[in-house]
Formats: sequence, C-alpha cells, structure tokens
Amino acid sequence: MLLIRCPWCGEREEREFHYGGDAAVKTPPVEADDRTWAHFLYWRHNPAGPFTERWVHNLGCRRWFIAVRDTTTHQISATWPFGANPEGSG
Amino acid sequence: MTAELNPLPRLAQVSFRITGQSAAAAAAALGLGALPGANRFERGDRLAVLWIGPDELLAVSSVRDAAGIEAALRGAIPPGEGVAVDVSANRVGFELTGAGAREVLTTCCAIDLHPRVFGPGSCVSTLVARAPAIIFQTDERPAYRLLVRPSFAPYVTQWLVDGLAGAGQR
Amino acid sequence: MAIAPTGPGRPVALTSGSLSLASDGPVHPNEHAGHNPDFLWRNPEPRAAYDVVIVGGGLHGLSTAYHLAARHGITNVAVVERAWLGNGNAVRNTTVIRSNYLRDESAALYEHCLTLWETFAEALDYDILFSQRGILQLEHHRSEVRDGHRRIASNLLNGIDAEWLDLDDLARFCPILNLSPDVRYPVRGAALQRRGGIARHDAVVFALARAANRLGVDLIQNCEVTGFEKVGDRVTGVITTRGRIGAGRVGIVGAGRTPLLAAMAGFEVPIQSSPLQALVSEIVEPVLPCVIMSSAVHVYISQAHKGELVMGAGRDPYTSYAQRGSFHVLEDQMAAVLELFPIFSRIHLLRTWAGIVDVSPDASPIIGTTPIRELFVNCGWGTGGFKATPGAGWLLAHTIATGTPHALNAPFSLERFETGALIDEHGAAAVAH
Repeated sequence: MLLIRCPWCGEREEREFHYGGDAAVKTPPVEADDRTWAHFLYWRHNPAGPFTERWVHNLGCRRWFIAVRDTTTHQISATWPFGANPEGSG
Repeated sequence: MTAELNPLPRLAQVSFRITGQSAAAAAAALGLGALPGANRFERGDRLAVLWIGPDELLAVSSVRDAAGIEAALRGAIPPGEGVAVDVSANRVGFELTGAGAREVLTTCCAIDLHPRVFGPGSCVSTLVARAPAIIFQTDERPAYRLLVRPSFAPYVTQWLVDGLAGAGQR
Repeated sequence: MAIAPTGPGRPVALTSGSLSLASDGPVHPNEHAGHNPDFLWRNPEPRAAYDVVIVGGGLHGLSTAYHLAARHGITNVAVVERAWLGNGNAVRNTTVIRSNYLRDESAALYEHCLTLWETFAEALDYDILFSQRGILQLEHHRSEVRDGHRRIASNLLNGIDAEWLDLDDLARFCPILNLSPDVRYPVRGAALQRRGGIARHDAVVFALARAANRLGVDLIQNCEVTGFEKVGDRVTGVITTRGRIGAGRVGIVGAGRTPLLAAMAGFEVPIQSSPLQALVSEIVEPVLPCVIMSSAVHVYISQAHKGELVMGAGRDPYTSYAQRGSFHVLEDQMAAVLELFPIFSRIHLLRTWAGIVDVSPDASPIIGTTPIRELFVNCGWGTGGFKATPGAGWLLAHTIATGTPHALNAPFSLERFETGALIDEHGAAAVAH
C-alpha cells in the first residue's frame, strides 16, 4: 500500500487515489502527421527511476495533482498541484 | 469504554464552490469569521461548514433548511465566481459518540484518529471500509459525525455495529 | 533438489556447486542419470560473437533460442540473461493456457501456441505437466452472458473448441463453485474451453533450457545488456556486464524491461510496465478440477499439481519495475475468490509475489522487426505471456531466421500503432490474463 501525500489533504492511503499515468503528454497540433498523433495516443514514458505522473485524490478532495515517484522503489519524492511545478512546468 | 451509534435526522446540505475573492463574503453570509482550512470544519449560524477540497465546501445543518442556506450563499457569491447547490439527498448522517467511539471507528477507517492529529474541528473525506465517507469530529468525548451515501448506509452501519460488538458495546 | 512449484523460486546458484542447475565444464555426467539430473545446461563463458543473440532468458527467450536451433538449424546462438534462468515472469505467472481469444488474428496466434503445447513435452523430451483440464470464463451479468456466447461463436468459426455451460452443467463440472442466486454477482453460466489448462512453469524453464543447451545454444546467466553496438542503422552486437558480444542478429525478448532495452538500441515500444500480483495457498487435497476466471468479481484461480490454489487478479495500476505491489490488491483478490468459493474461507495464504508485466495499448503482443536492421523484438504479452511460450518463440525464431515475419505474427507489428490496425483484446481477452 503506497502512502501518497495529496498536496491538499496530506498523506493518505493509496486506496483513496486513482492513477493517471505519464504527466508529460502534450496534445499535438491538429496538422501534426500520423506518427506524431500515434505517439500522442499510444506512447508513454516508462522509465526505471523517477517518473513524473498524475494522480487524482478521487475519494478525498477529488483533485488531480502531480507526483514524482521512483518506479524502482515506489518512493514518492514530491507532489504538487497542477500548474505549481517548482521547476516551472506540469 | 462505551460508544453509541445513532442516525442523525435529515440534514440540510449545500455544496458550494468559490474563487478566492468571494470566500470572505460566503463566510460572512453563513455566520463564520472565515471558511475552514484543509481537513477542518467551522461552525457558523446554526450550521457547520466542512472543507471538501481546495475550492469546495459543504454547509451542513440539522435545523436550517437547505433553500435558505442556498439563497444566502447565492446572495453572497457574485455570478461567475462560484456556485451553491442543494445536495441534501446526497448523503445521510450518523453520530458515533462515547469513550470507545475512536476504537470503533478505527476498525474500519485508515485515518489516524489519535487526538494528537485528529480532534474537534477535524474533517476528512475518506473511506469507511470500502464506502466513501466524510468524517468530522464535533467534540472531545469524542463525538464523530459521518456522512455517507444513502445506498451505502446499511453497509457502513453494519461495519460500525460490528465494531461496537467487537468492543462489547452497543 | 526442491524447487517451489509456483511463484518465484529460490535463487539458484549461478556457479558450479552442488546446488547448481548448471555446470561450468563441457561434461555433464548426470545428464542421463534420470529425470532430475544435477545439471540441465552448461554455464558457459560468452564467446566473442554469435549468429544470433537473444536478450532475455525468460520463457519466450529460451523458446526462441530452442526454435532457432531445432527448426532452423541456427545453433550458434546465445541467450543473455541479467539474472538467472527462472527468476522473472517465467516463474511468477499463474500458468494459464488457453486460445479462446476474440479477434481472428489473436485466435490464430494463440491457437498456434496451444497446438504446440499439445506436443511440447514430446518435442522437449521432458515432462512439463501440461494438463488440459479446461478453463471456465464465468459470466455474471446479462451483458457478459451475451459476450460469452459471442466469443464462443467467434471461437468456433476460428476452429477453436468452445462451449456454453449452464448452471446444471457447471454444478457437475465444478461442484464447489458457489452457484447460489443469493450473492452480489450470481453466476449465470460459463464459456468453457476444454483444451485449455495449465502446465508446470518451472518445468518448462528446465525443459527449454535443457533442450536449447543440447542443441548447442549458450545460456549465459548473470549477464546484463547495457547497450547495443550499431553500424549505421544495423545492430552488430550487444554490450554486456560480461563484455561485448558480437551478433549477426539480435532478438529483444525482455518483457517488462523491453522499453529500457529498446531505448538503448535507439527505438521505442509503446509498452507500460506495471506489477501483477499473484498468490498461492497452502497445499490442499485436489478440489478444483479446472481453471476458473471471472471478470465481474475479478480473479482467476486454479489448483497446481502439488495442491496449492494459485490465484491472480488485476494489475496494480502504476508504472513499476519493483516486482512488488500493494496489499489491498491482494485483499480484493482473496475477497473475490471467497465470493466464488466460500469453501476456501479457512485456507491459509502461503506466499504472494509480483511480476512486471509489459502491456501494450491494445493488449496484444508485438512480435516482429524494428526500425534497427537485424534487430527483432517480442514484447507486449502483458499478463498472458506464459500461454504463448511455444508459439512466441516459434514465431520470433522464424522472423529472425528468415528476416521476415510469419503470416501469424505479421499483424502483430510495431507499426500497427501508427497505421491504426490495432488488435484490441482489452475486453475480449476477458480478465487481465
């Protein structure tokens, strides 16, 4: 069971959350080619190590947020609300 | 160590979401000095205002009517800066009180209810067993109030009654 | 030599010694001594170069090497494995074998695999305890019943055995199944594939490794690939923790680690890696005569030959390489089993574990060529790769040997995620399996 720190509610059990996957997916412009659209639809980052990802606290405050979690240890090093990335994106 | 579980009478419940500018006006309209912060609730004019999310709150009252609360909020929140909606049918309430109440609740709730971190004024949206629930503590006896979906109420009460039985209580 | 029949076995010593399954020398005197000789394969030093290097010593990697040698006469082959044979998903799966998939492409692929299973023990000259005890897909909702009939019709059109069992049939076929109408999701019937079943997964590891070794394949354990050597857009070798190994052709068969290997080689695969947990009970008398799957309560269960109940459920949702998952997923899984089998309520849990599964966007595998010349890939089997062991190796070996995909795996190309010719088995593959 992961303990996840919701940026608003604090640390809660994983059961209260829903996973949203890769946080770096960007919608391409409509004129993009098939290959670009295919990547948008099907390709996701899948790193072994720190991964910036989306979670939603769906059984708590119901807000989406960003977490950085190491996929080899499950340690969560940081969470922050959408738009509040300390490094300037996300 | 005894505890008691009682259903609450039908509650007026008004959900409201606001932007920062209208928070003070909304608080004043409900008789609060300020809206509650995260994981807290505040008492106002014959009602309580529960923190639900960063821009979302729930006004709950066992004596006032929902239409009146809704009207007060709509008067205080300018159009486009928030909404207030009567959701009284959304949840039913229970009160769990007595010296053993904390122990009973811990049988089916993962939240740390120790007085060091959870006391009067605390309020969380979480799970009771598998059912979503809002739990807030109203005094130090302790007394907890639980708001759950009507269709989950039998399930939640079964868990709580089981917790009471486990501690030799009623 | 005691090896756990299910779940990740104990680490087997990688060097010579009384506990080793491999020998350092060319001579393995006990090979003919009986059914369980001390040494099933050599433990060779990597040579400077091979005709083919297979990256990944799981079941599919071993099967690929075996088929390269046995079917195509390509014996100058190495399988490089970062840990030891039988450490990963090879021994973390729940051993379910079936071919009753919905789509024509999948039906052909998995039926090819099942047909090979039926003669695999003979081909490998090793008892893998393949048992066609039947696999039941329980249907609980009206929509599931309709879907079950649809899948049966589709299976029959594709020449795959499938039949419908009503409640009376079910009561005879699996007497301990709870068929009471007084539960949250009453069982309404089931789709049965009688030719489906299980095999003993570590026996399959031993059988394939032994057979590949006998044909001259070098099985190189404790040898992690850290990079690929390329000339232009053509792969010429692999860089490993035990040095460079030249290769005419390379096959990546890395399951959940395939995205990492692909990135090293300079291409991408649309794979998400996440934990899939399973568990076994203590050993009990034979009580469960078939494999049971249920999407509505979400579990699959069978009884291993030795007597443990083997159960699995859905994936943990998050990306992970950690080979462990969250406890509440196991709790839900056990609750689901008790819905179907209240009789199991007092059986003890013996062991739990997780494997890392490689799930593709359409829940179908990727077997074929890559943007790198002479580099081939097999991945994306997600939660159901064990059942494909013979066929996946057969097809990748064909693709590597001829340079061209076989008709059976041509639809399962990496390009389909750009052309849009997906083979969506998400719903059709039933419970995550």
